[in-house]
Amino acid sequence: MSVKAIPVWDLWPGDVEWQPMSPKLRTVWVLRSLVNLLILAVLAAVPLAIWLGWEGLLWALGGYVLVAGLRALAVARTVATWGYAERQEDLLVRHGLLTRRLSIVPYGRIQLIDLSAGPIERMFGLTTVQVRTAALGSTTEVPGLDPAVAAALRDRLAVRAAEVREGL
Amino acid sequence: MTAEVPEEAAPPLADLPYGPEPAGPSAPPAGVQRQRLHPLTPLLESFRFFAAAAAAVGIQVFTSRNFLFAVYIAVAAAVAGGIASLIALQYRGFVIWGRELHIYSGVFTRSHRTVPLDRLQSVDLSRPIRARLFGLAQLNIEVAGGDGTDARLAYLKVDRALALRAELLAIAGRPAAVPETVEATDEAEEAPEPDRDAGLLVPQTTVKRLALASLLEALPVQVAALLVFGTAFSVLGAIFGYDRVATTLWVTFFAPALLGYVQSTVAVVNRFLRNGRFRIARDGENLLIQRGLTDTSHETVPVDRVTGVSFVEPVLWRSRRWRRVEVWTAAVAQQSSMSVKSTTALPVGGPEEVAVVAGAAVPDLPSDAVLRQGAVERPPRRARWRMPLRWKRTGAALTERAFVVRHGLWVNVHVAVPYARIQSVRVTQGRVQRMQGLATVRAMAAGGLGHDAVAVHRDVREAVAMAAELRERADAAAALERPRLS
Repeated sequence: MSVKAIPVWDLWPGDVEWQPMSPKLRTVWVLRSLVNLLILAVLAAVPLAIWLGWEGLLWALGGYVLVAGLRALAVARTVATWGYAERQEDLLVRHGLLTRRLSIVPYGRIQLIDLSAGPIERMFGLTTVQVRTAALGSTTEVPGLDPAVAAALRDRLAVRAAEVREGL
Repeated sequence: MTAEVPEEAAPPLADLPYGPEPAGPSAPPAGVQRQRLHPLTPLLESFRFFAAAAAAVGIQVFTSRNFLFAVYIAVAAAVAGGIASLIALQYRGFVIWGRELHIYSGVFTRSHRTVPLDRLQSVDLSRPIRARLFGLAQLNIEVAGGDGTDARLAYLKVDRALALRAELLAIAGRPAAVPETVEATDEAEEAPEPDRDAGLLVPQTTVKRLALASLLEALPVQVAALLVFGTAFSVLGAIFGYDRVATTLWVTFFAPALLGYVQSTVAVVNRFLRNGRFRIARDGENLLIQRGLTDTSHETVPVDRVTGVSFVEPVLWRSRRWRRVEVWTAAVAQQSSMSVKSTTALPVGGPEEVAVVAGAAVPDLPSDAVLRQGAVERPPRRARWRMPLRWKRTGAALTERAFVVRHGLWVNVHVAVPYARIQSVRVTQGRVQRMQGLATVRAMAAGGLGHDAVAVHRDVREAVAMAAELRERADAAAALERPRLS
């Protein structure tokens, strides 16, 4: 495999034990994208129906099925790229299918840890952990964890953050 | 931030939204005599309003030739302003009570601000030109854990301001060694004494050099703007006829563009005026900066709060090897919001001066290594087509104490972030980058998005190794420092 095909995080020196997200995350995100697209499709259906009559609705439906199918495929593949790893001194989070991102947050710099859950996430019993440092725009998210896992992660992070507080 | 402020401490008392006096036990009793501000204060504070009113009246007079109107307005403004000032003055004042400074203001909405002097970070004296006309000054009081300027005492007579500053610093338990340099402001116009320059890190920037530097910095922008305007006008004029272009385009395009152009020119002039007579000295853990051609101001930069240093080099400064040094400092404002201040630590200077100032701002920063030609490593050659012109002036290096990156074509900037100040590290790889086997490393320092050290288009393996190395060095550097609370 050429270097171009290897995701950036797999080049990290040393072994990293990546934790996967909850398997339910894929369902949730696919569902979310379908709902988002449905709203768009409904919005698009109105002018189409005015323009083409009842045929317009069929066009909207067909377009929706096509786009939603592709989107669902992409989302499902994106979800698989998400992962996090807790190391001795820092938290690693990786994600991204086309644009790959690897965030490294040292425990000592963590300022805030948030738990949040949207309506669809709640239906499936998932929680997102958000970690914030003093750097603006460096909110690191770990989405799609089981509430118990999320709470445990938050507690571990909080304890580690209190132990090695490095401030600014 | 500083050691004496626990993280859970409540933010400083904000203005009370209503009620003249707080019921807190620390508030001074109602009978305590408040110290007054200078009687001219309200007039000076509404300086802009008066200037605008004067301009409006001037235009009115000019167009209608009705001089009596101006007289009426002037009399009315003077009477109303005088009465309003007298009333306002009754409610303004401050009290030093125990270890706290209480500042009162407001006529309709009374506010009472309490400044805990234990947490005093700095007291800066600044003298805007309108205050200098009357021999007045204002004190900017900064408190640890506050956002920017927390409290302002304006305006006071200069000697009183200096005495008050010394008093506040004494209460806060800080050595008031600063006023000696501050004292120099008054006589700055007169013959300079030789011993004033004793504590300075670098000799005072001469006005001539600063003027030349400002001119050279502004020149590319000016020339480019004029060229664009000129060609656009002449080309369009040749096609459509100059009259029509002049009338239609003027209103829609040239006028706003010209406004922006004038604004940028004014900004250059302003910066020149602000940085005139620039003096920087080191006092223990602080950098003391004193500057201003028309508005004299003082600033204090705590060295342990410096999150990064940037060395700015506009394109026309290159041949002279001049650079401007800017220092970023961060402060925790509220729970998570950060405010980052970029303070000019040297408006223009040669390599030696730059090295001295940078060394004072970040101890042990090997600035000669940072600024030597080719000290930073360029991205691999295959990234060149992504940025054909900038490529030569882009790079990154892991030096002994800091992560150094370089970027920018017209204004080339070296950014040095000490390892101990790196918050989090991020590696990103876009689609095209992936095809080329490149990645971007971003070391985030506390504060805004503009205050990151970004190494663009590094080789993937190198980028990941760099990120890992940055993290390791950040931990090592942070462990070496004395433990600090945020």
